[in-house]
Amino acid sequence: MRGPREVPILQIEQLAVAYATRHGDVAAVRDVSFEIHRAQTFGIVGESGCGKSTVAFGMVNFLGRNGRITGGRILFQGQDLVKRSELELRKLRGDRIAMVYQDPMQALNPAMTLGDQMAEVLIVHRSMKRSAAMERCKQMLERVYMPDPASVMRRYPHQISGGQQQRIVIAMALLNDPALLIMDEPTTALDVTVEAAVLDLINDLQNEFDTAIMYISHNLGVIARVSDEIGVMYAGEMVERADVKDIFARPSHPYTLGLLRCIPRLDTTKRSTTLQPIRGRVPSPTALPPGCIFEPRCPFARPACSHQPIPMREIQPGHWARCLYAEEILEHKDDLSDDMVNIIIGVAPKTDNGGPILRVKEAKTYYPVASKQIIGGQKQYVKAVDNVSMEAMPGRTLGIVGESGCGKSTLVKTIIGLEKLSGGEIEFMGMDISTPVSKRSEALIKDLQMVFQNPDSTLNPSFSVGYQIARPLRRFKTVPRNQVRDEVIRLLNMMRLGENYYGRLPRQLSGGEKQRVAIARAIAAQPKLVLCDEPVSALDVSVQAAVLNLLLEIQQQLGTTMVFIAHDLSVVRFFCDHLAVMYLGQIAEIGPAEAIYLPPYHPYTEALLSAVPIPDPSAEQKHIRLGGSVPSALNPPTGCRFHTRCPRRAMLPDGGAICEREDPPAQFDTDQHRIYCHIPLEELRKMEAVVTIEKEGPHVG
Amino acid sequence: MLVKDYMTKHPPMAEPKMSVVEVQRQMSENNVRYLPVVGDGKRLLGLITPQSMLIDPRRMASLNVWDITRLLSDLKVKDIMIKIRSVITIDPDTPIEQAAQVMVENRVGCLPVVQEGIVVGVITETDLLDHLSKMMSGNMSGVRVTIRMPMIKGELAKLVGVIAQAGWGIDAMGGALCVKDAKKWDAVVKIRASKEEVVAALSAISSQEIIDVREV
Amino acid sequence: MSALSGGTKTAEKRPSRLRRLWGGFSIILESRVGTIGLCIIVFWVLVAIFAPLLAPRDPLSQDSDAINKGSSEQYLLGTDQLGRDILSRLIFGTRTILVLAPLSVLASVTVGTILGLTAGYFGGLVDEVVMRLLDAIMAFPTILLYLIIIAAIGPSAVNVVIAITFVGTPGIARLVRSLTLDIRTRDYIRAAQTRGEHPLYIMFVEILPNVRGPLIIDALLRVGYAIFAIGTLGFLGLGLPPPTPDWGGMVAEARKFIWTAPLNVLWPILAITSLVVGLNLFADGLREETTRYQ
Repeated sequence: MRGPREVPILQIEQLAVAYATRHGDVAAVRDVSFEIHRAQTFGIVGESGCGKSTVAFGMVNFLGRNGRITGGRILFQGQDLVKRSELELRKLRGDRIAMVYQDPMQALNPAMTLGDQMAEVLIVHRSMKRSAAMERCKQMLERVYMPDPASVMRRYPHQISGGQQQRIVIAMALLNDPALLIMDEPTTALDVTVEAAVLDLINDLQNEFDTAIMYISHNLGVIARVSDEIGVMYAGEMVERADVKDIFARPSHPYTLGLLRCIPRLDTTKRSTTLQPIRGRVPSPTALPPGCIFEPRCPFARPACSHQPIPMREIQPGHWARCLYAEEILEHKDDLSDDMVNIIIGVAPKTDNGGPILRVKEAKTYYPVASKQIIGGQKQYVKAVDNVSMEAMPGRTLGIVGESGCGKSTLVKTIIGLEKLSGGEIEFMGMDISTPVSKRSEALIKDLQMVFQNPDSTLNPSFSVGYQIARPLRRFKTVPRNQVRDEVIRLLNMMRLGENYYGRLPRQLSGGEKQRVAIARAIAAQPKLVLCDEPVSALDVSVQAAVLNLLLEIQQQLGTTMVFIAHDLSVVRFFCDHLAVMYLGQIAEIGPAEAIYLPPYHPYTEALLSAVPIPDPSAEQKHIRLGGSVPSALNPPTGCRFHTRCPRRAMLPDGGAICEREDPPAQFDTDQHRIYCHIPLEELRKMEAVVTIEKEGPHVG
Repeated sequence: MLVKDYMTKHPPMAEPKMSVVEVQRQMSENNVRYLPVVGDGKRLLGLITPQSMLIDPRRMASLNVWDITRLLSDLKVKDIMIKIRSVITIDPDTPIEQAAQVMVENRVGCLPVVQEGIVVGVITETDLLDHLSKMMSGNMSGVRVTIRMPMIKGELAKLVGVIAQAGWGIDAMGGALCVKDAKKWDAVVKIRASKEEVVAALSAISSQEIIDVREV
Repeated sequence: MSALSGGTKTAEKRPSRLRRLWGGFSIILESRVGTIGLCIIVFWVLVAIFAPLLAPRDPLSQDSDAINKGSSEQYLLGTDQLGRDILSRLIFGTRTILVLAPLSVLASVTVGTILGLTAGYFGGLVDEVVMRLLDAIMAFPTILLYLIIIAAIGPSAVNVVIAITFVGTPGIARLVRSLTLDIRTRDYIRAAQTRGEHPLYIMFVEILPNVRGPLIIDALLRVGYAIFAIGTLGFLGLGLPPPTPDWGGMVAEARKFIWTAPLNVLWPILAITSLVVGLNLFADGLREETTRYQ
């Protein structure tokens, strides 16, 4: 960092971008200003459709055929990029501005070895000799901590994992030593432990290369970890801009405050707080409100807000907000709307009566894999779920967490009968349900329903909302035929959707609305157990809060038991009573939610917790990073499956040789809390808590 | 203490086809006096210095005001820059003092830092002065003493020994050959202690002489 | 919608159906290519419907005084080798072709969809057997296949439809199967499975409506091919038995007199071409506009 005479690498002044559509120009981005200095990261955060990617694309004029910059200046080292020709911009993109996108495969050529395509950058751009270029690439890969770079360079993109692909893309971006690096959700597709490692890498590299970074993400936790300064975007405008600590400590725009209030945090549960969704939805860029763009959804709106567009103003040195009453926002942070109060009261724990409603005993789900040999050869199996035992208590929520490929989805699909159980037992209300769904009795099917992950494919696009919710009602004859319509409307009201949604088609709904309809469909037949497969992970945070609240309400009203899969540890902590942590088809740790988040930890749980991005720059987190990548489930490691990556293995005598030989025993911390690990419980208990969050922070949960 | 540690990475750069007017604006926006001119892949092609901006008065003499305006607006970077063969460059792995020497010998204020023909940064007088200021911990307060000592082995060790004995730490240290007497050496040390104590302690070394002492 | 609540099921659905139909229609009008195609098709359909009113004379009556005559006031497009009015024959030929071509496509769409849905939804052995059989049909050159079928069952209007259905089915089955394979993995199909729905319900109620779009476009293009096929069969003498007015047959007959009455070949060819082009333009417009909205 240099003194004040330092001129920013990038300076954006009142940028406006419009897309030409059939109905005329649509202003996608309006009045966005910010600057990025060398070796600084500017984070842009906002929900989907807020224009954050458009800003990035506008910078290098990647807006596509129908997009164009309609106003403002983009000064890159004093040069205005707006008037540049396509050719000049392309040269800048190659030489001085680099971009990293969400999907690394977009940037990698699947038909070339990684070494070749990296070297190509240098050979073409800098006319380096091939051997020298290869040598430089190898050095760069070492700098991004790529294990065994020489062999990686001989491989093709599909032969390495997603996290490593993203490392390659970052290395490629840095080969030309760019002054500005634009990263658009670079870690969104990655698992949390891999994401943490990539974020560490970005921080290291920034210091070394003096690069200015523009980091775009929807995840407040990630943004809090990487950024020096943050801009919050909403509906195409930047509504608040300040130093990272400032924005989290003193959010001064109602939208920023709303965002912070609707994300569950690692230290909150459904009993201590509620999530407060932001009411309404983002206005369409064709029908913007005349005054403040957030006014229709703002809980603090006053008459003056709707008169004219609100300008950005500096409320404190370096802290800008687009709100007339920015100074007063903080006073309102603890206000609760009335319906929220009800939820808190209702979540009082119910007493457990009787045994578990669902009991999974040593369940195994194996997929056969075609042998590579043409003739003969031994049949191989992917052990997606291997020896999993767990119980779900009636009226409670059992959460299952783990990174992708850990078998959590397969487990749930096995329970519901979409996958065939290869061994073990599953018992539901005392009945054996080890059979696939087609062989189950109708009564059993009715009592077990599922909510799926992807809101865009969960509803049949050809049928109206009403028809799809009515279908289970008709099929299971939950209500008499002539009352079906009334029942559907009752369910719609319960989902806070209203009667007028009855005839709508799925494509007329937003992601959150689709997911609510899917929930209505799942609970229509009044099942005893609902399996939720990541029901909120594809939703924006404000919508996610609303859906989580809805699920909570349903559980209170109907006493439904839920099994809830998620990869977001803050969400499961908030939502679940019990928690199972899975790794590579097995359970690492299972117990009451509070117990999982405090020592004793399974080493894997510990690593997960230390990787979670926390939307609070003042939170302290232990720094534990896992090496290597998840081994293949086709050929899982012997003994403890985590031994290849376990950072705590050294605690055992002779470097944890036992971990490779023997399956870890279940150690009971309390009678509900089991940890599958060779390290003695006393040792595990001595570990410190991974996350410490100041309780008296200025935040609201 | 190599060039790469003190140079400005990612300096603003110009391209040969840019107009001089534009470059002038770019220089003032970025608050710099030198701009490396680069081609594809940041390959160095030339350098723009304040001198390149001066227009030869002999050329202007015969022109009227309109011609001058046109001349200026038509002028491109490639017409006024110092061409690559006359640009003095330096490698990022060079010691910083060597860069200073190159600049002094050639009477230039800016060296593009070049690796395999590619511009990786620039180092200017300002960067060197920054280095000097840091070497002498210019922004820290303490007692700054200048001591003249004969050029004999062990003299510096004596000085350091005395400071160590007194239990002080050295915040900054520098030295150079005495300007007037080639057999003497001037050392500057910065110590956090009171002026009187320092003078008392250092006067004890008989072969050395305190030239200057001040609190900064 | 809420104003209509309490009505019967059909009463609820009617306005939305109508609106959807109009919605689909207005989409076509947004594309210039589609509009032109639609105009051509509508023109020929109107001609077919009002053939008896439009045709100046009986397509079968022969005038021995006017054989292979060029156009005149009496015979607008001239006469053929038997002295029949070409214009009238063309107009009545529209009826044949506009009945046979869509009918044969409808038949192949029905059979192909059932086969494709079954193969795609169940996969495994069912898929293998069905698809290999269809591949075997596709391996034959189409003309050869037409010849074999017609030769086996004799030329008649019904048999022409059967032949075209037989040849067209594998392509449709393949299309439906690939769409089904994709849709089968969607969550709404999983949701139906977890409700314990019967496979037939899933195939025909959950999947079929969603393959509709691409299927309609493909079927439109296939109507064009079927018109060609009927023309080809007519030209080879395997189409409708004479003296039925048949565009393909007309080309075949006029070809013999191409030196004396060259224009007689041109008229039926123009008719076939314009109808096929119209259908293709319409299908293209439809595809363009529907994909743009997705």
